Amino acid sequence: MTDPNRRQIISLRDVQKHYGSYHALRGITMDIAEGEFFSLLGPSGCGKTTLLRTIAGFEDVSSGHVLLDGRDMEGVPANKRPTNMVFQSYAIFPHLSVAQNVGFGLRKRSDLDKSAKSALIAEALGMVGLDGYGDRSAQALSGGQRQRVALARALILKPKVLLLDEPLSALDKKLREQMQTELRRLQRHVGITFILVTHDQEEALIMSDRIAVMFEGQIAQLASPQELYRRPVTQQVANFIGVMNFLPVEISMGQGGSIDLDIAGLGRTTIDSAQCPGAIRPGLGQAGLRPETMTLLVDGEDADGHLAEGQVEELAYYGDMTYYDVLLDGATVPVTISMKNLTGRQVLDRGARARVAWDPRALVVFAE
Amino acid sequence: MIGNGIPGGGDIAIGFDKNARRGLLLVSPTALYALALLAAPLGAIVLFSFWTQDFLTVDTTPTLNNYREAFANPLYALLMGRSLLISGAVTVVTVLLAFPIAYYVSFYVNPRHKSLWLFLITIPFWTSYLIRVFLWKVILGFNGVINSSLLELGFIEEPLTFILYNANAVVITLAHAFAPFAILPIFVALERIDRSLLEASRDLGEGAIRTFFRVTLPIAMPGVIGAILIVFIPTVGDYVTPRLVGGPEGAMIANRIQVEFLRLNNAPMGAALAVIAMVLVTFVSLVIVGLNRLWLGRKS
Repeated sequence: MTDPNRRQIISLRDVQKHYGSYHALRGITMDIAEGEFFSLLGPSGCGKTTLLRTIAGFEDVSSGHVLLDGRDMEGVPANKRPTNMVFQSYAIFPHLSVAQNVGFGLRKRSDLDKSAKSALIAEALGMVGLDGYGDRSAQALSGGQRQRVALARALILKPKVLLLDEPLSALDKKLREQMQTELRRLQRHVGITFILVTHDQEEALIMSDRIAVMFEGQIAQLASPQELYRRPVTQQVANFIGVMNFLPVEISMGQGGSIDLDIAGLGRTTIDSAQCPGAIRPGLGQAGLRPETMTLLVDGEDADGHLAEGQVEELAYYGDMTYYDVLLDGATVPVTISMKNLTGRQVLDRGARARVAWDPRALVVFAE
Repeated sequence: MIGNGIPGGGDIAIGFDKNARRGLLLVSPTALYALALLAAPLGAIVLFSFWTQDFLTVDTTPTLNNYREAFANPLYALLMGRSLLISGAVTVVTVLLAFPIAYYVSFYVNPRHKSLWLFLITIPFWTSYLIRVFLWKVILGFNGVINSSLLELGFIEEPLTFILYNANAVVITLAHAFAPFAILPIFVALERIDRSLLEASRDLGEGAIRTFFRVTLPIAMPGVIGAILIVFIPTVGDYVTPRLVGGPEGAMIANRIQVEFLRLNNAPMGAALAVIAMVLVTFVSLVIVGLNRLWLGRKS
């Protein structure tokens, strides 16, 4: 996925953006490869949309460089850049029909006659599953259809990069999930680099080849979805991507690149230093464990490895899953454990004693 | 009995009636007012236009003579044509000048200061229409502000005469008076344009000028049409301005209608002229609306 031989289509070099005294982008440096599905993920106000608009040409950079396909974009206005955008509001022209919306950017293509343009429009509409919608008024469309029109309108121009600004946030859950799959399929089909801005970590994980997690105008971590989920470099990233339990830990350096840990509620263990992508040093820290990496054992079950004990404080039954809050003996805050409700698996009651099996390989350690 | 089985069915019908009745009650004072002061006089005017003035009495035998006379006498056609021309010119000037102002306030003024700007735009309304027209007389007159300044500065040898007591003076005065009426609907239309549409147009390859003609203007068109009608319809029948600054060359149809009613004591003739003016204004307005539909239709 991060093949170094692939051509870099976008290169950002120490991009800074100031709005008066507000420092929106604080030195963004990264490369995005051709054909990649790339996500900018972060909470609102982290600068992800500003960064996208900087690439599109709607915002100037205060300093630094934006290179598109090797060309410095300084002073190049949005209408001259090889990028197209799907806006959060979709920005469908209300006074035009669907076909005219999709064909809006074709005016300059003097090499195409009217029938060639119509064919392109029909093809673009077909690509997003809106065959035969060309004559409809843009105002008569549903949210999902508007989004498809916005996609077709951008893709018809065959941009080098397609920018998507929270394109799914206005859709209801079912439609959003459907569009996530569809967008991914579409991206593979056209092979164009997609840059998606989202605050939805699940969406980013599902769709992206790589994700840049942003906080306060900076990239906290840039990695593949699996890497990001399994090996977050800071507690902030770990908290933002999915759920992670944190337990106080005493860190001491072992021999041969190993790290000795004494974790509240879980006990002593040793892990490999490669398991800690973030900065690590002896002293106090936090040990992170994802809810699904722990197993709540029921009567008769036994663990081969590490075992801890505690009490079920709270549980939430979701049908397919049950989420338990378990206070481990020796810990002060409960950990969340998710269990699949497999056939025959008993759901524990509140207040029940619990034995928890866990695996040191799933640990992520953060120094304080 | 089956109908009664629908839960709440009866209640809904009663509730609806209640609402309708309340609505009627709410509009009835206005409706009665409009009926008494708009519809009734209008009916009287139409009725009068088919009658004949017979010295001091009115002959109520229905006749089309007034209309024949109106179409036969070139004076009426001249006044009518001039009215349409002047008010057409006023409309063009007003809307063309109003658009940039509305555009500026909508797109460039800090949102916090927009209401202050609108407030400033309406300042001319603080003085009466009549006083404003008189002031234009002072500004445009033979010894007025413009002429004395220009003479003093040596730009002209003798006072300019083409700015008062003719059609130009009427256009200048009316354009000023109606400017806020044109600015406000255009401003509202521009305010409603989602700014991301303009960014989308830029993103799809169009520059600022093309974006204006392909996106901004078509979407703001209802406001522009509103402004055109708001300026055009009342100015055709304007009486005060041509009377005060128009001179004989700037006289319009309303002045003639006044003459017929009050000086010549020929109410039926005046009524016929009024009806013709109304029909013409309606016709021109419909043409404007139709042309706009056609233009937008061609675009879409």
